[in-house]
Amino acid sequence: MRAVAKELEVELLDFEGASCCGTVVLKSIDEPSWLALSGRNIALAEKRGHDIVTPCNGCFGSLKDTAHILNHDEAVRKTTNKTLMALGLKFTGRAKIRHFVEVLYDMRNEIKGRIVKPLTGLRIAFHPGCHLLRPSTVAGFDDPELPHKVDELLELTGARSIPWGLKLRCCGSPLLIASEAVASSVLKEKMISAREAGASCVVTNCPACHTQFDVQVLGLKDEGGQPLELPALFVTQVLGLAMGLEPDSLGLQLNRVSLDPIRDVLGI
Amino acid sequence: MATETWGQLKSLEGSKLEILDAEFTREVSKIIGGQDLTACFQCAKCSGGCPVSDKVNVQVHQLMRMLLFGLEEVLKTDMVWLCTTCYQCQQRCPQGINITDIIFGLKNMAFRKGINPPGYVASRKALYDSGKLYEPTDWERDDLGLGPVPPLDVAETRKVLDKTGLMKLREGE
Repeated sequence: MRAVAKELEVELLDFEGASCCGTVVLKSIDEPSWLALSGRNIALAEKRGHDIVTPCNGCFGSLKDTAHILNHDEAVRKTTNKTLMALGLKFTGRAKIRHFVEVLYDMRNEIKGRIVKPLTGLRIAFHPGCHLLRPSTVAGFDDPELPHKVDELLELTGARSIPWGLKLRCCGSPLLIASEAVASSVLKEKMISAREAGASCVVTNCPACHTQFDVQVLGLKDEGGQPLELPALFVTQVLGLAMGLEPDSLGLQLNRVSLDPIRDVLGI
Repeated sequence: MATETWGQLKSLEGSKLEILDAEFTREVSKIIGGQDLTACFQCAKCSGGCPVSDKVNVQVHQLMRMLLFGLEEVLKTDMVWLCTTCYQCQQRCPQGINITDIIFGLKNMAFRKGINPPGYVASRKALYDSGKLYEPTDWERDDLGLGPVPPLDVAETRKVLDKTGLMKLREGE
């Protein structure tokens, strides 16, 4: 994310004092605590006159959902602000909360002009993930049934974002905490769907989803005993490579599933 | 599969359930989205798109009806904690019911009663102790030439979580 932002001359500030957003984990345990913790992050950004940008569906969903509830429910906003008052903070709803792919989508014409290493022949099973799209009343980014925006970005590189049956399906990541077995079985179905569609890789825009496709998938096999791994790339790794950035600056040396099957087409 | 992984209520069939606890239904209707319980006409579109429908003992549309019937046993079904929070049911509900949000409310109720997978207890502690759910991996940050994560004053997040009573959600805490 940082390498691509730098190339596009987007200035990112590290978010000093930010905590975890609490994500669906804290929302599951206690909603008032989640609203307060997540609301604190938003209020902190607002106090500094900043917006928030994240490359994670979990943070995006959690912060957007918090802002949505606090903007629409006066009683909850009052309670949460009473809690935040102890820190000299107040949620006002001024800060914009954006996923990094939203920023990239707005810059698509500029990105188009910077593609120097086309990735022709790459067949991408793009996994939008849940909280980037749903509920659409909160996320407000793309069509929840036929999303196309990140696909458009990926196709600027000359790669193809292929249709696949379980594209909109959850990756199973949030279930790791409750049952790894069920989380893996959800992932297994996704991998079989991507393979059936003839994908040469999976692309994600969320670190939690990415961990499913790049780490939890290791050792996962179909009924016939065949491994289900496919090279897994983060959206900024695909864009960065096509923009001619150094593979190491994009963290490609850290990908767990071997990229060997697509090294030629990636030019690495 | 889910039978082995989570959820004490294994099947609706043959289960003796406490019925029609109006107080429970009233309590549920107070949670976010809960005011629309009666709008559900059991079309089961929610279960049709649910990634765990074929992996749970009690499906989403059944859970919704259990709420209306005031069946508190719903908190012991696997559907509550095996909901992935993907929001597909809520997105597609033809009656506009905020189903996923209702399930979040049920998780809150279940947690207060101690009905939850153990991982959530550890996560609550991590969030309280460090303000984070996950710790950054230093060698990976080094490899990417990233400096340390910007500082967080844990006293601040604790102050917030003390006010909301995160560590005192259950009787006796």
